[in-house]
Amino acid sequence: MLPLRDVQAAFRRALLAEDETALAAFVDGGAARIDVHRNNLFASLGEVLRDGFPAVCRLVDERFFAYAAHEFIRHHPPARAVLAEYGGSFADFLADFPPCRHLPYLADVARLEWLMCVAATAADAAPLSVAALADFAPEATPLLRFTLYPALGLLASAFPIDRIWRANRHGAPLDDAPIDLAAGGVRLEVHRAGSEVVMRALDPPGFAFRQTLRQGGTLEAAATAALAEDRAFDLTGALGALFREGAVIGVTGTPANCEAPS
Amino acid sequence: MIASETVERGIAGAIGVGLRAPHLAAFIADRPAIGWLEVHAENYMGGGAAPAQLDRIRRDYPLSLHGVGLSLGSAEGIDEAHLLRLKGLVERYQPCRVSEHLSWSIAGGTYLNDLLPLPYTEESLAIVARHVARVQEVLGRKLLVENPSSYLRFRHSTIAEPDFLAELVRRTGCGLLCDVNNIHVSATNLGFDASHYLDALPPTAVGEIHLAGHAAVMRADVALLIDDHGSAVPPPVWALYCSALRRFGAVATLVEWDKNLPGLPVLLAEARKAERAALATLGDHVAAS
Repeated sequence: MLPLRDVQAAFRRALLAEDETALAAFVDGGAARIDVHRNNLFASLGEVLRDGFPAVCRLVDERFFAYAAHEFIRHHPPARAVLAEYGGSFADFLADFPPCRHLPYLADVARLEWLMCVAATAADAAPLSVAALADFAPEATPLLRFTLYPALGLLASAFPIDRIWRANRHGAPLDDAPIDLAAGGVRLEVHRAGSEVVMRALDPPGFAFRQTLRQGGTLEAAATAALAEDRAFDLTGALGALFREGAVIGVTGTPANCEAPS
Repeated sequence: MIASETVERGIAGAIGVGLRAPHLAAFIADRPAIGWLEVHAENYMGGGAAPAQLDRIRRDYPLSLHGVGLSLGSAEGIDEAHLLRLKGLVERYQPCRVSEHLSWSIAGGTYLNDLLPLPYTEESLAIVARHVARVQEVLGRKLLVENPSSYLRFRHSTIAEPDFLAELVRRTGCGLLCDVNNIHVSATNLGFDASHYLDALPPTAVGEIHLAGHAAVMRADVALLIDDHGSAVPPPVWALYCSALRRFGAVATLVEWDKNLPGLPVLLAEARKAERAALATLGDHVAAS
């Protein structure tokens, strides 16, 4: 008897590794029929990536994007059935993909588009009001850690990727003003406001503050990181804004087991 | 007269369409008349705008949840986390029906985004039956299992597909979703008789019928029908639909359209066509009985 597990392993190899020898021995009809399933797999996932990364697609053109997507799908197929969650490692793949080396900003544009995908469909969560802080003793405040809204994403790039993205999103005019790649980097926050995904630039201390909290650091570590960027950083104002924007969904007063980044 | 009006209303209420993202806004704004709507469960498993819009839609229409990701036929088992997410949707949207496919998509921890074929063996039957039972246990309700569209046949299959489905129903108490387009596509691709297939399904188990279009292609000198849901329902599928109605009675029917999605009026016109076909087939039948 031929175990189902072996049949499915052979099918997987036929679709992803394009090695049909094992599967062809089990089925009638041969390559053309197996091809139907391979086409379904690659076409549908290619569409998921094209929908999720429209600016990347426009930057490299559709044919090259289809090739890159095909290679990505072969080597990094999804693990789960919720396709809105597929594509998180596409930016890292592009960063290491030799044919893209002449576009040093491409991977960061992909990271930005991924944060937008995440922001659009991340789990809903009820935000806390600043009154939640009253549950903790004042002397414990520096050691508080915050859980930020799942839709909120942060990204720093050495390139002006917000301008690159705006010039290459769906429907943007093709002849936008030239973008100077040497104009400097940008620190971005992507968030969901109501049902809209919004992006904005943060100043260096504001970014350091939120990034430290996002990574699980204490309030004290976040303040230290922000003050290292700007000694005039307004901690009270930044903390108030975080709550006002609905970005905090949890506060813990006991240290998490991860080290606060320095 | 009263009897026939009741039949007409009943049949109109039984026809639904697949709800796709580009039509969401129109359903919310215009509330066009249609018996019910069906969505792919996996498209609503996150947060944000889509599930909130579906809450709004659910206030106006009965909703059916059609899963594509449970992978009922995976030898390595079903993903319990995914099943719990489906349970969350069932609790949130209180669907009129929940359905999945007789197929598999997950092997070696990889989700191969297609409804892949199973060899029909005693081993496969035991695996699928175990998974269907588990799904029904977790969801606390009956699951409808859809016949797949087939392009190839496993040499070691020992059970005919409709017999496999009938035995699955017997072992688990699940229902069936009879996709007549899939039967036509598979019958053409594999060379079997579609009406014999219909006759072999247990009629009382069928809780839903799917209608869709397909594409005819040549692949390396092999003529195949591809179940792409990319066009209007073609004549042989309508004919099979009428046969299915005669055999199964007034079963809830869905028009599916995914690829080359038309404007909503075209989709709704296709649903009205299904309604007329059902009236023509069942109206006399019901009136006579």
